[in-house]
Amino acid sequence: MSDSHPPRKARTPLTEPAAGELQVPASFGSLAAIASFVQAVAGRAGLDRRAAYRLRLAVDELATNIVMHGYRGGDGRITVRGRSGPGRARIVVEDSAPEFDPVAGCLPPATELPPEQRRIGGLGIHLALTSVDEFSYVRHDGRNISTLTVQAEGTDPCPPLP
Amino acid sequence: MPLSVSLSIEGDTTVIELTGELDAGTAPDFHQTIEKAAGHGTATVEINMAGVGYMASAGLRSLVFARQKVASNVTIKVTGASEPVVRTIRTAGLDRSIVLTDE
Repeated sequence: MSDSHPPRKARTPLTEPAAGELQVPASFGSLAAIASFVQAVAGRAGLDRRAAYRLRLAVDELATNIVMHGYRGGDGRITVRGRSGPGRARIVVEDSAPEFDPVAGCLPPATELPPEQRRIGGLGIHLALTSVDEFSYVRHDGRNISTLTVQAEGTDPCPPLP
Repeated sequence: MPLSVSLSIEGDTTVIELTGELDAGTAPDFHQTIEKAAGHGTATVEINMAGVGYMASAGLRSLVFARQKVASNVTIKVTGASEPVVRTIRTAGLDRSIVLTDE
């Protein structure tokens, strides 16, 4: 066994300077500011309209969920950080609401039920997770940290969208 | 980002026209208009989304609300929706009870 490692193959770097950080109160009134921030990151990454829409939708749904179910309408903050690499954009969403793992909390829509019998809710997280190419969640230091990545269309094989 | 909502009656159709962005912040305006439309008792409620550039799941909740609010024999039509908006509606399976058309 050797301690030496072969030189690392240069991977698609996501190490460019962070596109910045947005901190907003956890309220529906902040959704527009979050959307503008995400669209700026998507623009710098060169995402086309469709990929930029997917990223915006996912971050919007996650933020809406944090406002409604995380802080339950109480005071709180949401931090959004963005990074754009060639052909992809990555957004990190953080909050200090009670622990919530979106993957565990995702319920697929009850499409077999007529709408008048549907439970309202749960759809947002499903939409968020099916809109991005990569999603990860960690709970760290009392914070929920979700990372969402969208590739420019055609950059990488995307999972089929429903 | 703002949403403008207008309501008109054309024959036996109540037309709701939406322009702007439909998210959790703006959907309440749409809800109020749905309640008014339900009160008109027309055979069809048409929701024109040609001017909607963005719709989140809050908009789906509004459509479910519309389906619950109007009588079951009233047709709800969504017209002019863009491709990502149509995809969102289909993801939720709402195209089974709401008519999606290009007009």
